[in-house]
Amino acid sequence: MWSYDKRLQFPVKIKNPDPQTAKIVITQLGGPDGELGASMRYLNQRYAMPYKECKAILTDIGTEELAHMEMISAIVYQLTRNLTPEQIREGGFEAYFVDHTTGIYPQFASGTPWSAMTFQSKGDPITDLFEDMAADAALLQKQPLRPEPS
Amino acid sequence: MTEREKLLGRVRMYDFALVDAIEYLDGHPENTAALAYYSEMRTAFDKAAAEYEDAFGPLTAREVDTRVGRWRWIDDPWPWEGEDN
Repeated sequence: MWSYDKRLQFPVKIKNPDPQTAKIVITQLGGPDGELGASMRYLNQRYAMPYKECKAILTDIGTEELAHMEMISAIVYQLTRNLTPEQIREGGFEAYFVDHTTGIYPQFASGTPWSAMTFQSKGDPITDLFEDMAADAALLQKQPLRPEPS
Repeated sequence: MTEREKLLGRVRMYDFALVDAIEYLDGHPENTAALAYYSEMRTAFDKAAAEYEDAFGPLTAREVDTRVGRWRWIDDPWPWEGEDN
């Protein structure tokens, strides 16, 4: 069961359209490491979780990811409002536009539609938690992979 | 900053604190400091949400005031439109 709050978790207020940026940002919605995948990952994995603390965390984080998804969708929506044909061409937005016009479609930046192939749900909590760590490794990617040469 | 932005900003601030507290408490259900923080933030959130809703309409479909004689839940702006942020 879910309920909806009619507000964004954080404000999104974009004045000027920018289809070039929208093309990149959309991957945070429906890309391989996007919010839709994050939400589906946690909300589907929770059934295999035996510990009450972790059942709660998977539920609450999976729910919060839906709120993140809504903010990203709002960003893409506002970046593609009132586009002129010139802006569509100059922003390299033609490929998206011919498929979806300015509809919000969860896809990778490269155009591949969102896919459940981007996550795993294995029925084993340890396996799933490792999968979660890999998914959230965007944080780790900011660390140097090896020591800087001295 | 409009009155709407101000009131909604307070709702967001306390909600953000609540989300953090909730996720922390999931993993630390006996933590008395976190329980007290949750309780304090929830009181503040409820107050901020009520103030916003009195002025600008319902935040959830379960809190619609029917005394106005119409279903205000549908009223624009919706969150993605950027006008109520």
